[in-house]
Amino acid sequence: MTSIAELENLTLLFENKVVLDDITLQIEEGQILGLLGPNGSGKTTLLKVLAFLLKPTKGKIMFQGEEVGNKNLERLRLQSALVNQRTLLFSTSVFNNVAYGLRMRKIPKVIIEEQVRDALKLVKLEGFEKRNAKKLSGGEQQRVALARALVLRTKLLLLDEPTANLDPKNASIIEDIILTANKELKTTIVMATHNMLEAKTMPNQVALINNGHITEVESAVDIFRRLSRNLASFAAVENTFKGTARLTEAGTAIVDIGNGTQIETTFDKQGSVSVFISPQDIILSKKSLESSARNVFKGKITQISDLGSLVKLTVDVGKPFMVQITKRSFGDMSLNFGAEVFITFKASSVQEI
Amino acid sequence: MPHPISGRPSRALPIGTKHMNEILDGIIRAFQMIFTGDPTVYGVVYRTLFFSGVATILAVLWATPIAMLISLKDFRGKSIIKSFFTAMIGMPTVVLGLILFLFFTKAGPFGFLGLLFTPGAVILGEAVLVTPLIVSIAINAIEAVDPEMLNLARTLGASESQASITVLKEALTGIIFSDVAGFNRAIAELGVALMVGGNIAGLTDVLTTDISKFTSRGDFATAIALGIILLVIVFGINLIIIIARNPRALLTLGKMPQ
Amino acid sequence: MKAWQKILSAAVIATIIVIVGTIAYFQFSPTTHLRISTTTSLYDTGLLDQIKTQYESNKKVSLDIIAQGTGLALASAGAGDADIVLVHAPSSEYPYLANGTLVCRKIIAYNYFAIVGPSSDPGKITGKNATEALKSILAYGRNQTSGTIVWASRGDNSGTFTKEVSLWKSAGYNQSKISSESWYASTGSGMAQTLSVANQKDAYTLTDLGTYLSLSHGGTVTLVPLISGSDYSLLNVYSIYAVNPQKISNVSFTEAINFIKWMISDTGQQAISNFGTGNYSQSLFNGAVQPIKNNSPQPDVSWIKTYAFFNSTECPTQYQDDHPELYP
Repeated sequence: MTSIAELENLTLLFENKVVLDDITLQIEEGQILGLLGPNGSGKTTLLKVLAFLLKPTKGKIMFQGEEVGNKNLERLRLQSALVNQRTLLFSTSVFNNVAYGLRMRKIPKVIIEEQVRDALKLVKLEGFEKRNAKKLSGGEQQRVALARALVLRTKLLLLDEPTANLDPKNASIIEDIILTANKELKTTIVMATHNMLEAKTMPNQVALINNGHITEVESAVDIFRRLSRNLASFAAVENTFKGTARLTEAGTAIVDIGNGTQIETTFDKQGSVSVFISPQDIILSKKSLESSARNVFKGKITQISDLGSLVKLTVDVGKPFMVQITKRSFGDMSLNFGAEVFITFKASSVQEI
Repeated sequence: MPHPISGRPSRALPIGTKHMNEILDGIIRAFQMIFTGDPTVYGVVYRTLFFSGVATILAVLWATPIAMLISLKDFRGKSIIKSFFTAMIGMPTVVLGLILFLFFTKAGPFGFLGLLFTPGAVILGEAVLVTPLIVSIAINAIEAVDPEMLNLARTLGASESQASITVLKEALTGIIFSDVAGFNRAIAELGVALMVGGNIAGLTDVLTTDISKFTSRGDFATAIALGIILLVIVFGINLIIIIARNPRALLTLGKMPQ
Repeated sequence: MKAWQKILSAAVIATIIVIVGTIAYFQFSPTTHLRISTTTSLYDTGLLDQIKTQYESNKKVSLDIIAQGTGLALASAGAGDADIVLVHAPSSEYPYLANGTLVCRKIIAYNYFAIVGPSSDPGKITGKNATEALKSILAYGRNQTSGTIVWASRGDNSGTFTKEVSLWKSAGYNQSKISSESWYASTGSGMAQTLSVANQKDAYTLTDLGTYLSLSHGGTVTLVPLISGSDYSLLNVYSIYAVNPQKISNVSFTEAINFIKWMISDTGQQAISNFGTGNYSQSLFNGAVQPIKNNSPQPDVSWIKTYAFFNSTECPTQYQDDHPELYP
């Protein structure tokens, strides 16, 4: 496996602050590399460096055997494309957005038309050519941004939190597109994320980044198998907790994750563990639910985020849990900031990582 | 009572009605001028539009690169330069007119060009006047574009030059507004055109300078008539520009979007 | 090239086009442009518009008339921004003859200023001469409650204002001192505005006949002339000069002389003397060439010689610039 890009002792200072700290990284051609880290860890900056938009203060980048310097920066940009976390589209039609990069490369008009059509098909937006890009829904806009980058068939595709602001339906569409692009177009993909599930399923390698420094690079499977201290301390990695497990008579573990919160599980570990509960497995209610689920906690809503058809809530039951409910439910339940609620989830939903 | 000198009967009117009469006279005179195709009036209108139009084009050409450099680059003293242009919007036209007069007079530094009291001087003078206005509004418009836009253009393969043009396009509404504002200021100003143009009948006179001249002579009806013509022209042009940008505005006649 | 550089080059090219275009327009124009610098009071009478129409009808010359104050009009000549100067303030004009800026002076017209005021004449100036009238107005003004305006003045550098200053001087007062007294209103603007102010306040003012007639015959101004007609102290003399080509470069001297010759010809003089008869059933100006030649009417011509001649002559020989035919 050849490496498509190599970073050697790369450091980047911005206004005398260290944003990237002595990074050495090898990216293999054709792989999907996940970049996992909390907000402010330098993920976006690293992606911009790989997009050749930012120059490092110290260190070296090799791209396809070439050292990246001032002279070839603009040329090499043609080989790499970055898709922002916050979707930014041009104030024009979907077609003009997707065609932008092709026009910059002076591709003939007929070919542009064909390639734009194919790109829109790939992101499941056939027929959207004439629509005003800014008037589309959040998920559709993100797909246009993705098509705009994919159509360029760059060697390297950089994605900054591609599904962070999307509801599960759109998120899974995007994930499919990314996997297809990697498989069929053989694009090397580096994607920054703080979604545990995504980091686990999509990339074949994961690099952990914190405070501008890459602490480990492992295959995705290995990362999640080991109990890495770094993992659980990521504030932004939601519903991940470090705790101590003790076995019950039934042979299953109860994990104390701190602040008096004890979680019942169906696995049989002991000692120091890290656990993860998917937001989709958590039920929110205003009154305590009597059900077969073993884990019921009372808490207060400490954060509300609007994701379009979904609403993301953070409930503090001693430790913060992230829950997703439909907007309708949110309205029906008349929830607001500080409201007292209950969260419920099954013991079998607790995943050990 | 016969007038002491002309011998004709003088009309003594109740206080206050004299000037209402003037305004009515002015409205009638305005229609007369337009519809009888009075060549002097048409000449003044033509010169007004031509001088202000060319001046605006010049000012847009000067202002756009300045606004691009200031808003797209980071440098020390950026806020000072931005405040300078904003402050220059308030430059009194007579003061600028005087400064340019001293530049263009034959005895002055640019006198060898022989531009004083020529159409060229009026055009250049008005262009200098409105450039700070266009620069300031354009900077605002460009800065309102998402700061990541430049990087987005670059990552998609745009060169620096193409990327800055892309940012300009995203700021287009604001930039067009800045240009229209410049034109409105140019066509309505008096001080510069008067001082450097000399208000020479048939050569450098424009609507504003002629309004001033006729007021000075006491011919208020003609002054008001020209004033009405000027207002109609300015409103007309602005209306055309609004409709050209968004033809649907005509249909909804400016109703709020549902 | 970067985008902004492209636009900047377009800007520079466009600016050069405007400048070169203007220069070329005047260089290659089939008509010669004769720049005439004059005063606002003369221009505002409309006389020059009429002369322009007449003169241009059969010649390939364009009269570009620039109306400025007397001071600025004379200064323009010195700077080289005019070819002809037409003004009415002999005392201010002489220095420009003396320093060689202007040559070939001819006196082309004369008329009289008037002092107008409310028909009730509260200052009781009727029947007096101009100097006595001003004394009465001053006494009357000082007698009123503070802030009551009884006199409006141009307060600019115009010929009318220069005349006013000299009148106050003959009456024994320094204009710049009395102008700060509360009865004296200095408008700093043109004749029409000054007349409006006087009209508003029922005050007196010094005015030229042309502006007064155009405002009063429409009823805008209801003041009446109380001191008018032949009075030496109100004499108003108009002179025309050519700008000296030996001192100032790039002036159209030949065309200037042609214009002066036309202004002193019978055609020109008739145009001047007939002006106003249509609108106001009286002429606003008197042509000066014949009267000076024939030494009549008196006492007007003697007054002109006393007030407006330099060293007892219309134009001293050394300033006649080899055009003796102008001075038969």
